[in-house]
Amino acid sequence: MRVPASPEHAFEVFTQEIALWWQPNGLFAITPAGDGRLAFEPGVGGRLFTTFSNGAEYEIGRISAWEPGKRLVFTWRPSSFTPEQSTEVEVLFQAVGKETRVSIEHRAWDTIPQRHAARHGFPEHATLQRAADWWRVSLAALSERLGSAE
Amino acid sequence: MNEESLDRTLLALADPYRRRVVDLLCERPRRAGELAEATQLAFPAMSRHLRALRESGLVEEGRHEQDSRVRIYRLRQEPMNELKAWLEQTEKMWMRQLAAFKAHLQKTRK
Repeated sequence: MRVPASPEHAFEVFTQEIALWWQPNGLFAITPAGDGRLAFEPGVGGRLFTTFSNGAEYEIGRISAWEPGKRLVFTWRPSSFTPEQSTEVEVLFQAVGKETRVSIEHRAWDTIPQRHAARHGFPEHATLQRAADWWRVSLAALSERLGSAE
Repeated sequence: MNEESLDRTLLALADPYRRRVVDLLCERPRRAGELAEATQLAFPAMSRHLRALRESGLVEEGRHEQDSRVRIYRLRQEPMNELKAWLEQTEKMWMRQLAAFKAHLQKTRK
């Protein structure tokens, strides 16, 4: 998706004005009470949380990468997920002329193998990379094979 | 969509060995021994992974066509379809959010 803004401005609006642009949707509601008003706490370790009209807060996730104008990574856990289950969202901002290409990747298990990585003796990054690759590549191949098996 | 079974699928796939097993079973059903060999895992470790995959519903155990003494493992279509549907819906959700983000930027452009 290309947006009419510099990467720095796009990053700023994405993180600081999320309450203004976020579209609540029924199927993927963050909590049974709805999506509330979203906000990022700037910086690594900051929260992505939502506030409801009665003042209650729900923490959706934590920021794991905060690179203004470049990259944003945060965990994403709707209230329907189990406590140990978390997914990860990566947002990339790339300059294209005077505009910015914004891309989002939502990964479902990259955050989980971190604990497994040490146990299996893999360097953490390699394990995560492999998980991400599997997510992107194998699933497409998988759906083809599954489709033809029917 | 059944969130509990989706949770089970995602948790089962959170392990790199189990993802490798799913990859291998995509090609064709296989025996536990074959899977252990292909992943270079000891047989008891593979048995544990296969049990986790069975419990999640991703994999089922059957009998070899020619030799009913031999147990084979194969993928079950249902959880994978559910996972695919979830992925597609998640992607759509983010596309809608990005479109809304773009509209907001255009509206507030100086």
